[in-house]
Amino acid sequence: MVATACRYSPLLLLALMWEAAVRTGLISDLVLPPFSAAVEGWWDLAVTGDLFPQAFASLRRAALGLGLAIALGTTAGILMAWNAKIRVFINPLIQMFYPLPKSALIPVTILWFGLGDMSKIVLIFIGCLLPIVVSSFNGARGVEDVLVWSARSLGASRRQVLWQIVVPAAMPEILTGIRTALAISFVLLVSSEFIIARDGIGFMIAGFGEEGVYDRMFACIMTVVAMGFFADRLFQLFMRRVLIWRE
Amino acid sequence: MTSDGAAPRVALPDPGAVALSALFWKVAPAIPIVGLFALWQILSASGAFNPYLMPEVPAVFRRVALELVNGEFLLNAGATLYRALAGFLIAAALAVTIGIAMARIRIVHWFFDPILSVGFPMPKVAFLPVFMLWFGAYDASKITLIAFASFFAIAVNTVAGTQGVDRHLVWSARSLGASERKILWTVILPAALPQILTGFQIALPLAMIVTIVTEMLMGGVGLGGAMIRAQRFADSIGVFSGIVQIGFTGFVVIFTMRWLRRRLLSWHEEAKR
Amino acid sequence: MATGAAIAVENVSHHYRPPKKRPVHALDQVSLEVGDREFVALLGPSGCGKSTLLYLIGGFMPIESGSIRVNGNLVTGPGPDRGVVFQHFALFPWKTVLGNVLYGLENIGVPREEARERAQKYIDMVHLTGFEDAYPNQLSGGMKQRAAIARTLAIDPDILLMDEPFGALDAQTRGLMQEELLSIWQRTRKTVLFVTHDVREAVYLAERVVMMTARPGRIMESVDTRFDEAGPGVMDRPEFVEKASYIWNRIKGEAIATVAARAS
Repeated sequence: MVATACRYSPLLLLALMWEAAVRTGLISDLVLPPFSAAVEGWWDLAVTGDLFPQAFASLRRAALGLGLAIALGTTAGILMAWNAKIRVFINPLIQMFYPLPKSALIPVTILWFGLGDMSKIVLIFIGCLLPIVVSSFNGARGVEDVLVWSARSLGASRRQVLWQIVVPAAMPEILTGIRTALAISFVLLVSSEFIIARDGIGFMIAGFGEEGVYDRMFACIMTVVAMGFFADRLFQLFMRRVLIWRE
Repeated sequence: MTSDGAAPRVALPDPGAVALSALFWKVAPAIPIVGLFALWQILSASGAFNPYLMPEVPAVFRRVALELVNGEFLLNAGATLYRALAGFLIAAALAVTIGIAMARIRIVHWFFDPILSVGFPMPKVAFLPVFMLWFGAYDASKITLIAFASFFAIAVNTVAGTQGVDRHLVWSARSLGASERKILWTVILPAALPQILTGFQIALPLAMIVTIVTEMLMGGVGLGGAMIRAQRFADSIGVFSGIVQIGFTGFVVIFTMRWLRRRLLSWHEEAKR
Repeated sequence: MATGAAIAVENVSHHYRPPKKRPVHALDQVSLEVGDREFVALLGPSGCGKSTLLYLIGGFMPIESGSIRVNGNLVTGPGPDRGVVFQHFALFPWKTVLGNVLYGLENIGVPREEARERAQKYIDMVHLTGFEDAYPNQLSGGMKQRAAIARTLAIDPDILLMDEPFGALDAQTRGLMQEELLSIWQRTRKTVLFVTHDVREAVYLAERVVMMTARPGRIMESVDTRFDEAGPGVMDRPEFVEKASYIWNRIKGEAIATVAARAS
């Protein structure tokens, strides 16, 4: 507890510097509200406003898009490693779409799926899919032959080898890929909500920014930062639980 | 791990069939790509979908070709690449410096460690309105945001790479009479280079994503701006040709980075693979 | 031997302090002298602190208590007077063999032409002629260790500190490297402190074998291992076998103690 507080103390220092810089007039409060005002704005939004429903709407989009990408991506990646013929057909598509900055798809997803949830979910799904496919493929392909051979010689069927050897052995890389996708999902979420949306935390940031309500804008930005941070931390905890055998 | 589906052959297969099957697997990788475009064209030509939602493939590629010839593409791609690379290079210089300082100076580590651990997973684009407020809607704010978005991944990997340098290498250099300064340049930096480059390879696609978003939001010359203008004028051929152009630019950037990695790490074990 | 000792270790103790774990008592009141041009092997069970002692003499880690003198001067840090060869070679993988050998020569200010000549001389000495432009990852384990030895010899240190230098090599390469090291030592006559846990290697190579106890490491006994005959044939002679089995019996108890301590 104390150690954690100590570790994160520079963030407090940063907040104090922020507050002091504005209070002393070093930075005009026209371009930067004092830290305390942002905290106050956060409290107002949390108690009276709709910060939590909006944040939840955003999280739901990210979770659905990412969840779909995990389900399809891990399956496709492992299948590609399992069967050379499947690989021949999927790999060219991956090579073609991998380098595309996925934010370029925002106008098309809006064109096809409208301004609501669906366009964001599809965008996040596409953006998260490829890193997960690639990491699942690398993980499953990197399984040592001797592991598979020992399982086979111990009487495991091909199916059992897949579930009991390949999937667990590929797990570290699969989870690393999902962690990358998690970060991408937040970037695409906020970007698409900036560009066109009717609700969500990114929509709120952009809206308060345009109206010049900067204390609330900063409050929402801090909320997104916290969401990204805690999502990643939770996932890391989960990874450590799942990969406990690795130490 | 590969398929062992091939059953033991009893009879020798017909040599003609073997040659045909070899030929098939040679052209097989082109099938999904050609198939994708063909499917698209069939769907759009069938009239089942509004041509606005699904313009015909030849029309999109005609537009790409036109903009390639009239210089539009080079102008937009140049502006986009300039912003992406300027932001990325600023971030790289800062992040590598701070990352190395963190691995060697305790107080620097104390200060930046929590900032990196919060900054690495957070969606950096969320700060876009802040940078617009501070630096306006022109290149200054775009490049600052791109640098901000690239910084954390590079810094995190530089710290990990620098801390992971085999101490025996440093000791060898010391006992061979190298100064601390020389050790930094000739041992620590090259030893951390593979991981620093990994940081680059994570940050560069992020920089491209953010570049396109800033251009879409702030307009101006650039691939993202051109695309959002096309959308506003309901020019869906323009939108799809924009995707092709952005995809091509992203392809060039990412493959240049891969090539650079292979060049710089020719001494590394991974080059043998 | 007491006067003019090349290495004089006096009452050195050392603890490792891994973060979030109990400190490990690695060395306890160790005193050791190595004479000028003497070849001494430091023998002990794994984890007994023999490598730690070598690193302390190398000046890589701060000395907690006691003192270490090299040629009469207190050790405060690493220096080109003590060349080091590590088990895993520690070659710079981004430099060629020649680049690795030149590295130390540049640091001590040898002019370019002379440095090239000297580097070539030592590359020839370890039989790597023709591999000057190869990168370490293109070499076999034995060749890597030859390159590392050439790099160390090139700056002409008075003392060679070797940390299980052949521990990562296969048995055949290991035998060849032992021969080569002996022939180099006979030509250059440097003081050598050689850490190993291989009894036969220690008895065969060294003039004197110093045995250490299990953790915390203390000096147990020092045995003269000079024989009248030279060459690998000596290993079949009864006096060699007798010395080796004496040393093995002394060390065995310590090795068992190490295994038991690890199991608990």
